[in-house]
Amino acid sequence: MLTLTILVPLIGALAILYVNEDRCRKVACVLGAIPLLLLIIAWIGFDTGAGAPVFQWVESYPWIPSLGVGWRMGVDGIALAIATMSALLFVATIAWPAETQGRPRQYYAWFLFLEAVSLGVFLTLDLLLFYVFFDLSLVGLFFLIGRWGHGDAQRAALKFFVYTFAGSLAMLLAIIALVLTTDPVTFDMRELIARQPLAGMDVRGALVLLGFVIGLGIKTPFVPLHTWLPPAHVDAPGPASAILAGVLLKMGTYGLIRIPFSMMSATFARYAFALGIVAVVSILWGALVAMAQRDLKRRIAYTSVNHMGYSLLGIAAAGALVGGGEQAARQMALTGATVEMVAHGLITGSLFLICGVFWQRGREYDLQTYGGLAQVAPRLTGFAVLASFASLGLPGLAGFVAELQIFVGTFGVYPWLAAIGLVGILITAALFLQMLQQLFFGELPARWSDFSDLGRVETRLLAVLAVLVVVIGIYPVWLLTLINSTTAVLTGGP
Amino acid sequence: MLWLLALIPILAAPAVFLRAGERRATLGIAAAGVLAATLALAIWAALGGWSGQLAWSGALRLQVGLTDFSAVMAILVPAVALPVVVYATAHEDSQGLKRLIALLLLFVGAMELLVIAADLLTLLIGWELVGACSWALISHRWRDADNPAAGRYAFVATRLGDLGLFLAAMAAFTGTRSFAFAGLGQLDGPLQQLLVFGVLLSAAAKSGQVPFAPWLFRAMAGPTSVSALLHAATMVAAGAYLLIRLHPVLDSAAWFGPVTIGIGLVTALAGGTVTLLQPHAKKLLAASTSAQYGLMFVAVGAGYPGVALAHMVSHAAFKALLFLGAGIAGEQAGSFELSRMRFARTLPYVTVLSAAGALALAGVPPLGAAWTKEAVIAAAAHAGPALAIALMLAGGLSAAYAMRFQYSVFGPGDEAEDDAKSSYRLETVMLALLAVACVVLGALWLPGARGALEQGFGANLPLFKPWETIGSLIALAAGLYAGLLVARHDPALGGDGALAASDDWLGLPVAIHRLVVAPTSQLAQYSARFDDHVIDYTVGRIAAAATAIAQTGWHFLERLADGLPEGSARWVALGGEDSRRLQTGLSHHYFALIAIGVVVLTLILLAGS
Repeated sequence: MLTLTILVPLIGALAILYVNEDRCRKVACVLGAIPLLLLIIAWIGFDTGAGAPVFQWVESYPWIPSLGVGWRMGVDGIALAIATMSALLFVATIAWPAETQGRPRQYYAWFLFLEAVSLGVFLTLDLLLFYVFFDLSLVGLFFLIGRWGHGDAQRAALKFFVYTFAGSLAMLLAIIALVLTTDPVTFDMRELIARQPLAGMDVRGALVLLGFVIGLGIKTPFVPLHTWLPPAHVDAPGPASAILAGVLLKMGTYGLIRIPFSMMSATFARYAFALGIVAVVSILWGALVAMAQRDLKRRIAYTSVNHMGYSLLGIAAAGALVGGGEQAARQMALTGATVEMVAHGLITGSLFLICGVFWQRGREYDLQTYGGLAQVAPRLTGFAVLASFASLGLPGLAGFVAELQIFVGTFGVYPWLAAIGLVGILITAALFLQMLQQLFFGELPARWSDFSDLGRVETRLLAVLAVLVVVIGIYPVWLLTLINSTTAVLTGGP
Repeated sequence: MLWLLALIPILAAPAVFLRAGERRATLGIAAAGVLAATLALAIWAALGGWSGQLAWSGALRLQVGLTDFSAVMAILVPAVALPVVVYATAHEDSQGLKRLIALLLLFVGAMELLVIAADLLTLLIGWELVGACSWALISHRWRDADNPAAGRYAFVATRLGDLGLFLAAMAAFTGTRSFAFAGLGQLDGPLQQLLVFGVLLSAAAKSGQVPFAPWLFRAMAGPTSVSALLHAATMVAAGAYLLIRLHPVLDSAAWFGPVTIGIGLVTALAGGTVTLLQPHAKKLLAASTSAQYGLMFVAVGAGYPGVALAHMVSHAAFKALLFLGAGIAGEQAGSFELSRMRFARTLPYVTVLSAAGALALAGVPPLGAAWTKEAVIAAAAHAGPALAIALMLAGGLSAAYAMRFQYSVFGPGDEAEDDAKSSYRLETVMLALLAVACVVLGALWLPGARGALEQGFGANLPLFKPWETIGSLIALAAGLYAGLLVARHDPALGGDGALAASDDWLGLPVAIHRLVVAPTSQLAQYSARFDDHVIDYTVGRIAAAATAIAQTGWHFLERLADGLPEGSARWVALGGEDSRRLQTGLSHHYFALIAIGVVVLTLILLAGS
């Protein structure tokens, strides 16, 4: 079933090259929605009861037996939550009325390809496949930015590619070093988690951890490895930006939980405080720099640095101790970090789709040139206000459920880091309200008097994301039950 | 069931926005119906002792419940909101009216959630939703960019306080594994101190105490009915309410009492001075709100939360009344400048009704507000006679500014006046409801009232001593006279000259700007420049170096290095070059490269195993 989730869009990506140009989008929507349906079925069938296996829906086929490599699929609560959110965001971005610049087949083919490999990252249980999918996702996005972007798109795409590719090389080295310590050699994640191959190896463990942190940290991104992100966003088309922020960044934090957190927990715990400091720096730096941006997309890109910082903080706090110490707090931090990934995907995905609206209508991202758009685009204003408040962590919306748990959980382990990180939610409040004020309120400049409001399709897609943001904010039981079933095990709980 | 108290207005808000249409009458009936239902439900809930629970997860449980004090508050909120919102449907601009009404209902619902909360998580949800509603309401007339700016100022200033509640929630969960109010008493040591600090910080910010007071001035950018609700029964009331609700827990920290008294007293005196110097009707009322909540803070700090609650109830009635009256006068005058009003002849009914509110604000017996003010002074006397005398001074100030307000706005005009612009019929009825409430509260002076309060609500009330009553009556008389002098002879006092600088909260906003706002935005600018010119530049240099190495040829490197470092350099170089080639359309090179990479990887792995 999980294999189908990957194969359908992958084969679809090839098949769509032979579809009539006019029907491309519809076909792509259907193909893109199949993984979402399959994942929802997987979610419904997922056993969250105590004593249920951690990884479920497992499929395993031998591939390179001598190396212990196999086609291994399976999900735990964390992977399932993030993968389902990603699949939903892919459906929304594929259905989004985009400017395909006369090459709709290729555009949708790359989107389906990207969906397949991105879901692969979250669904695989084989470390080599993880790496392959991780890298292929770069390829997919590279083409989407380079060929359908605007401005200096090729340069931005190149920078994005080379920078993140360097990161995945660091990760490759770490993977090799990790795997080579096992005997017999295996890339099976479940085996690696059970064996903890680097336990007791100080220097080697630290170096391998460094490799993973750099590799995954560039992707997340943490400060100071984040400077590829703003240009990539600015020049990317809106839907690609939404995927970059909503799905690709999650690969970094998800990878941290899946690999170093789980497979080398003792080493991770030793350096967790340092990671926590990196997280707090990312939170504050991302928020401060975002506040100074005049460019709409750069501003939101930097808030991603801030939000992924929250997620990292939760992960660091959760991994700070091995065994059952401070278990309730650590579990809460890890659950919060996962909810942050889901919430950030939905919220920032919406925000970047909204940015795309500005480019399509105005060919301009400079905040100062806009104003008073509430007068001509009330629906756009409504969605932007909701997404902004969700992003600044207003209770009743998804971001709060994540950030509250991260801060409360982290406080039990690293009280000072949690208290300093709190300042981040104040700065984001200021910067989002300032942005709303600049875009939508005050006088409407004459040049925007014919700025058109959201169309029917755009409204519906944003509404779906907004409804989910509200539902998670008010009644997150269904999501928290799924995630907690895994985080309880990961933090050594009962 | 108790959840309904918050849910009814919250769910009614989108329904009103989407379905009620634009007609004032429809909006008025819908809003009145929703708020009346909420009010009835609140009374029913108070009698029935309802509670409720909603589990988000094992650790996160939302709880609601009512205590004697919170039941009073739960009834007060819709009771004040009802006349205010109905007034809004008749009075405010028709542009965006249904949005305004929907937001006001949401505001009430969020406040009810805050009031019925029985744990810090539920409280925090209501607390911040109230703040967000304030942002939307203050920004309501968004076509003027100053209004959203004022909304942002209010939201960010109060959110700074909200961080205190986050801290309190963090401390509570770490210490008790739960957010429930019931368990907070078990906290001790630094966690207890942090809890008390956090709660006090957020309460002071919400209630417009020093140094957060200036946001209340900026909040005047909103429509008058918004101000009335925000000052009387929601938002600002939330701060003092929280201290009243959590008083037993807070009081266990030794410093809580003195610090709270200090904050309240400074705000009451400084706020009273600032109020007296206001030449602008709405700002005058706004500044007086800070001062009046200062009195409540003193009462809580002195150990009498019941007294603070009583003063909050009487304040809610007269402050809503005064704002609504000022709204009518403002519409009549076309501005809120005190020197341009005096509508006794034009608006005789409004004048009389507003007078009830002004006398209550001044603390003139036998109005109920006078009793609650006396109770605050008596409570303060337990902490020391000097404090009681300082509060008498504050009481004198409130008499002075109440007099200045009433005489300037509704005093007898000199010249022939225009007719009223409208009959203000529905507005006047709503004013009358509130004025009746002000007068009925006078029952507090009746002999049996004290016993009823102590038994009915478990409130601990201080005894009034003769010297306190005499002292405050003298201060009252002096204040009324001073206020009359100002209103008669210098109606524009504080509008220009040396005092003009001090009427903007004694320069506090300037200090906040210089010490907090400006440095933060400077820091943001520097950070952004550092980000571009140092961090990104460094990365660029590293990339350039890699390119240079690639150009000199990696054959050379091959001989220098071996093992894994070599592999990585090769990949960087290849990756860089190939990516560049992609732009020329030779994308198949990349796939060739991947194939090579897989082969190399396989070889390395084979060698390793």
